[in-house]
Amino acid sequence: MSAIRTENLSKTYKTAWGKKETSAVRMLNLEVKQGEVFGLLGPNGAGKTSTIHLLLNLIRPTTGVAFLFDRPVTDTEVHRRLGYLPESVNLHSYYRGRALLNFYAALCGVPVEQREHRVAEVLKLLDLEDAAEKQVAKYSKGMAQRIGVAQAMLHDPDLLILDEPTASLDPIARHRFRELLLELKGRGKTILISSHILSEVESVCDRVAILENGALKRIGTLQELSAGGSTRLIVKEIPAAVMEALAATPAEVTWVQGQVTIRCQDDPILQTVEALLREHHVEILRKESEAQSLDEIFFSTIKQDPST
Amino acid sequence: MKTILLIAADGIRGLIHQRLLLGLMLASLAMTIVFSVFLNSVRQNVTESFSEDRIASDSFKGSEKMSEADRRKLREQMGNMSSVFQAGFYAVASFGGKIVALFIFSTAVASEIRRGTIRLTLSKPVSRTQFLLGKYLGGVAVMGSYALIAGAAIVVFAQSQSLDLNPAIKWSPWLMFCEQLMLGSVALLLSLFMHPIVASVLAFFAGNGFYASPNPLYFILPSYSDFGVFMEVLQGTLVDWKEVALLSLYAFDFVAIMLLLALWRFRTKELL
Repeated sequence: MSAIRTENLSKTYKTAWGKKETSAVRMLNLEVKQGEVFGLLGPNGAGKTSTIHLLLNLIRPTTGVAFLFDRPVTDTEVHRRLGYLPESVNLHSYYRGRALLNFYAALCGVPVEQREHRVAEVLKLLDLEDAAEKQVAKYSKGMAQRIGVAQAMLHDPDLLILDEPTASLDPIARHRFRELLLELKGRGKTILISSHILSEVESVCDRVAILENGALKRIGTLQELSAGGSTRLIVKEIPAAVMEALAATPAEVTWVQGQVTIRCQDDPILQTVEALLREHHVEILRKESEAQSLDEIFFSTIKQDPST
Repeated sequence: MKTILLIAADGIRGLIHQRLLLGLMLASLAMTIVFSVFLNSVRQNVTESFSEDRIASDSFKGSEKMSEADRRKLREQMGNMSSVFQAGFYAVASFGGKIVALFIFSTAVASEIRRGTIRLTLSKPVSRTQFLLGKYLGGVAVMGSYALIAGAAIVVFAQSQSLDLNPAIKWSPWLMFCEQLMLGSVALLLSLFMHPIVASVLAFFAGNGFYASPNPLYFILPSYSDFGVFMEVLQGTLVDWKEVALLSLYAFDFVAIMLLLALWRFRTKELL
């Protein structure tokens, strides 16, 4: 059973008079398995939040369908297994922290006899015990974010959908939150994280999907995504004829500590260089794949220079 | 049902913390009291000036010229002052209640969407139907309290001023409440299509007070005016309980239709 599944999911927004259309999500086919931590990446306007809103049935798809635990997202009963943290946490400001969590716990169907204990537990977990009796309206951004996380975890859901979860957290809270995610991952929870902070996604996610202009560009584990990157061939020496032939290819040749390194940016270049070396009987000492960081994968996918 | 009650309780909590609403309710009740006190003081002055003893006494200039018919008419007018006092009380309380109802129901869902708090609520196992009905029920509870307070106030005032309660005023809190629920249901429905202020204005003027029976609009638009008992209170005429029962039935029918339409709209509304 998959925790999240979308089939040809699209969302097009129209202006009030229906003249102008904006495609937020285009034919998205996505599957998140149970127990997986899945990262949803993309620049602003890529369709991450719209995808999440479609999964929560807050907006209607223009085409396609979405499922949570193999049940259509329109079935609100499936929300008993879901915890959601929105991008900007807007809370009922007239509550105090503990009362707000009690209200959400009641909505989630947490039994009355367990409610108080469960609320106290999440307050402690998110270091909000001191703020429990404080009016939510007086919370700082970070505190509101933490109470947002707390309400998502109240009923111990099987699936957590977190939209920019650490956006308003300070570095200490961010670190704690990462630990919390790893702990939840260890307990077999399914987590969908939409985030701009690539290092955060890299450290916790099993798989990632990169969206751009509403379309899915790449999907897979970090290993899978970094495959097909550049490869280094290390050789002892290169005859002049090979050197001339290499100059005609995009491969980069460098001399380091008496060894020659030939960097091939992709598979076709690698095949050309390997054929050339074989032809001239040049022995390849080592062949190394250059693992790409998520940053590199991300920027190469959306074809944008990070420095610009 | 439990979920609807939870949403309703949350709605009441939210409304209690709305300063603007509290201000409106307090202003409405204060205006009602001030208006009533003013009218009652006028009534007392008139009663004192035209009391039987004074009319009969020599100090009352011109009394000898007053015929028996004039005296009877004067006594009737003095009695009518009591009705004016009660009608005034009713008019202000009713108008204030309408404004409060429009505010509550037009913002019940719209403000949740605008603030984004609806996203968290609907991410829980809460259906849109439960959410909307819960919000409406919260408003009903607040308006019910308003009608009760207004009803209690008129009884207390009437007793403190030794006035007989007008037969029509006895039904007024209930009819006022029914009218406000109708008004609220229209405001709620319209607020799902447009800005709450525009929805409130349209809902207020949607009543068919402008149309008579042959006009087809009479049968489509709400009949708020039938719920007003101002003239009955003023004239001291009796409001038949059968008429009240029919009006109540009409109001609940109307509210049910409006809520069904609102649910139909809300189920497909994009909650951005």
